[in-house]
Amino acid sequence: MRFACLAKILILLLVCDAPCVALAAHGASALKVVEEIMIDAPAERVWSVLADFDHINWMPSVDRVEVSGERIPDQARRRVIYKDGAEILELLTKSDKDRLMFGVHRETDDIRRLPAVNYTSLVTLHPQEGGKTTVEWKARFYRGFPNNNPPPELNDDVAISAVKDMVRAQLTALKHYMESDSNKK
Amino acid sequence: MRQKLFIALVFFFSLLMKCSSADEAYVTAQGADVVDIIDLASMKTLTSLPIGGKVAGVAMSKNGAHAYVTSPEGRYLTVIDTQLRRIEKKIPVNGAPLGVTVTDDEAFAYVCDVYGGQLIELDVRSGHQRNLHVGAMPSGLALTPDGKTLIVSVRDDNSLAIIDTQGFYIRHLLAVGAHPYGLSIDKNGARVYSANVESNDVSVVDIANYKVMATLKVENHPYTIALAAGRIFVANQHSDSISVFNALDFNPLGVIKVGEYPEGLSASRDEQFVYVTNWFSNELWSLNTSTLAVVGKATTSDGPRAFGSFVRSTP
Repeated sequence: MRFACLAKILILLLVCDAPCVALAAHGASALKVVEEIMIDAPAERVWSVLADFDHINWMPSVDRVEVSGERIPDQARRRVIYKDGAEILELLTKSDKDRLMFGVHRETDDIRRLPAVNYTSLVTLHPQEGGKTTVEWKARFYRGFPNNNPPPELNDDVAISAVKDMVRAQLTALKHYMESDSNKK
Repeated sequence: MRQKLFIALVFFFSLLMKCSSADEAYVTAQGADVVDIIDLASMKTLTSLPIGGKVAGVAMSKNGAHAYVTSPEGRYLTVIDTQLRRIEKKIPVNGAPLGVTVTDDEAFAYVCDVYGGQLIELDVRSGHQRNLHVGAMPSGLALTPDGKTLIVSVRDDNSLAIIDTQGFYIRHLLAVGAHPYGLSIDKNGARVYSANVESNDVSVVDIANYKVMATLKVENHPYTIALAAGRIFVANQHSDSISVFNALDFNPLGVIKVGEYPEGLSASRDEQFVYVTNWFSNELWSLNTSTLAVVGKATTSDGPRAFGSFVRSTP
């Protein structure tokens, strides 16, 4: 039994050794995580940072971003290069200034870093009184194992808790960035 | 004379009102693992039935007596008694059922085994199962009104399998756009429409001649299709929109903005409304099929998929 699980993971790792492409297999049950944070900055200013597809300066783990394509949804792509050398290819799926909604879809997955695949984020800014903003970060994804009977390392709970941690870290980073003295204006 | 006419009119309209208020939506909410039963006149949830197993697909019996919902991870098909709003039974499925449809007489249900690549025929009474291998990730289903032909979208093979239900074999495999998912069939059983998620288009297929007769460009990630009032409605998951076409000449008639991640799409039997579930924002929206206006909204349980036909009209 344990061997079967290990074998499944091994096969997955082999398959995903080159980053898995957009059409990678995924299961029948999309998962959802919703997290929010209050930031002491007006929505307009948060938007200008968050919706700048060319930069992710607010994420300390990101080294740089290489962008291609017209800066409109479904055209703009970016290669996010992390300080530890990892890379993720992302597609802009939504940038709606009227509704303050910003969406990005990961076109590559690496289940060794995040045990979830076909990840899409949809971030909505809700302006609050006193020039504050609630940032609502919604994520849609599938567990890392694209079939029934997932091994425990790649089941729904593992995917949900990993995405939750990631989203919380991103929200915290965004809050720190927006509220730090050097970025206040 | 005039008074009699008036009474007759009042009676007639009260009948009409009674009919329309009986429509209900059976919304599979995969995150919450329940089916929400929503009254479509008031857009209020009447009850939520716990189903489990990551409930996803739905089909309504022709007479509205039963709703059939699939649980791909629980490996069962649940039959709901719509009169009592109660689970009548769960039929175990050897596979991971997603798309579902049921014959008019409810003798057979068909489900797609997404992981096993099988089309599964289930004898509703006995639970007896027959399998037919169709390809990688079979997802959506559409049955012709005469019950003789079944169309399966074979998502990862980019094709539709046209099945002879009597002989239970593949009559034809037809290449369509990339990743066909939701299907809808017209009333004559002449055409089937497939929403091709990865190529952002809809294939219009002449079933008898195994031919793609038109390809309609839509917005991003078309997921499901509904036909009503001579029009084609397509839910674009990533664009938060519904594309509308004339079914006769395929002319585009407009794009309706809806909630976040529209997934399930189904028409009322009188074809005056289409209903769409928004997966991300947990809503059911009602759209007028002639004015294309948004006319109602309901809150649903988490993750409304409603993949299939989910509107019940009383006979």
